[in-house]
Amino acid sequence: MKTKWFGFNRSELPLQHDKANLFLQISTAISVFLFVITLAAYFMISSVILSWNKNIIDGLTVQIMPSTDTLSAEENTMRINKVIMCVEGWSGVDRVRLISDQKIKKLMSPWLGSDADINALPLPKLLDVRLKNGKTFDYEAAKESLADVAPYASIDNHGIWLKKLIKSARSLKVLSLFILALVLTASVFSLFYAVGTSLRVHQHIIEILHIMGATDGYIAKQYAHISFVITFISALVGTIIAVVALFAVSMLSAGLESGLIGAASLTGTHWFVLCLMPLLTAVISTGMSYLCVKRTLGKML
Amino acid sequence: MYNLMYVVKKDNGGFMDTHKNMLTEPIVDLKNVCISYGKDPDVLSNVNLSLDKGSFHFLTGKSGAGKTSLLSMMYLALKPSKGTVFVFGSNIGYAGRDSMAMLRRRIGVVFQDFRLLEHLSAYDNVAVPLRIRGMSENEIKKRVKELLKWVELEQSMDKICSTLSGGEKQRVAIARAVINRPEILLADEPTGNVDNDIAAKLMKLFVELNKLGTTVVIATHSKDLIAEYNYPQIHLENKSVKVIPALRRSAHEN
Repeated sequence: MKTKWFGFNRSELPLQHDKANLFLQISTAISVFLFVITLAAYFMISSVILSWNKNIIDGLTVQIMPSTDTLSAEENTMRINKVIMCVEGWSGVDRVRLISDQKIKKLMSPWLGSDADINALPLPKLLDVRLKNGKTFDYEAAKESLADVAPYASIDNHGIWLKKLIKSARSLKVLSLFILALVLTASVFSLFYAVGTSLRVHQHIIEILHIMGATDGYIAKQYAHISFVITFISALVGTIIAVVALFAVSMLSAGLESGLIGAASLTGTHWFVLCLMPLLTAVISTGMSYLCVKRTLGKML
Repeated sequence: MYNLMYVVKKDNGGFMDTHKNMLTEPIVDLKNVCISYGKDPDVLSNVNLSLDKGSFHFLTGKSGAGKTSLLSMMYLALKPSKGTVFVFGSNIGYAGRDSMAMLRRRIGVVFQDFRLLEHLSAYDNVAVPLRIRGMSENEIKKRVKELLKWVELEQSMDKICSTLSGGEKQRVAIARAVINRPEILLADEPTGNVDNDIAAKLMKLFVELNKLGTTVVIATHSKDLIAEYNYPQIHLENKSVKVIPALRRSAHEN
């Protein structure tokens, strides 16, 4: 005998037929889509910054310039070993690794092509040096030590140019937070608009319910219930579209050779948070609807 | 037949027992009350009126005399522009929103224009006051079916109200007003749209409720009804209220 709609068995107010529902459904789906995409971007930027800090700032490269004289292979090896021993003697060095010719060839292939004979080119040898803590490492002392032992070698400190990149990335993080706040504000206003419109449309029914002894909470619960159902379904749609879009973007970017952006990935925790969006949206909108209705009804007789 | 005596004894909603201390004071008490809408002149001015518990009054007066306004104030949908209104001993000027809701649950109202929830069935309309009180669906089903049978709407209980005739709507409105066994029943022209047999049956229901302790106020233009039942009248004229006592007991009551 009662109208039932998603378990909505307290249907004195015909809220499931409100025209404002369509507006709320579309705006919620779009807002959640934007929110999920922006939040994912925020997570990825955070991952990149973390990765840069961890893997690149805590490391440096030592370049060993080729000799202008013709040296034998043994002499060349001794030249390189001298530098390696010097670097290993620095305080705060965790690990030193000579980058192989094959890896250098791969790194240079975008510029030289894959068929280039790098042995015929005067390319420097590279040492990848991992530091225990890049922030406390004494670069000046290391430079002086290297200049004394092997003046043909020099230090390439990643941190100097990465600081600028990290600063830019942090600006993007702030921007993404600002966008998240904007989307959230727009969603709240949409919800208030939909609820306000519905309250005006159903004012005569609300008056009857009040006269029969309904409390504001009784009426607000009906709005909260319908808000939960509508926003959960809409947010689910928005989240699914956003997740599909994120997968598509990650599939496309997987083919790109980019050592820096490669760290921009989402962890399991990130995916979990993103997938919680429909539930979080529904819970927040339920609470907001309840408070909005109670506040509005509080102004009525 | 809808056995009011049985049901009230079984469950009176807790009101009649818990408010014994208020038996001596008026159930509705208006002191120097004025009613006006916006900047318009007063509809009613300096009204002083007390309704004792268990009283029965007809509310009379010409159209526009303020009968609906006075009833609206009694069912707590309208606050006076001046003066003080006590209902069940509570000054409604100081009552909070939830307290007002609890007071309204003790009042049954029949509107002249029915004010049914048109999108709901007759059954659901009558069930609304019970659902607001949080009663179980089993108990609601039992009570609503019994009452709808009594007002001869058993066959129409699942019909949406917008499809009911005027007389059927009026009976639904009355059933909704009395389903909660109110302590005060306020009715605006409750027999205006029904035939004589149904009108007599509805009046019998009001009289039965009154005998059980419900305070009844019926706004009417029907001189026949007033003559037949001969209860005191609250007569509205020239913005003021005059209570005309019942002069003799009618044969109906004897």
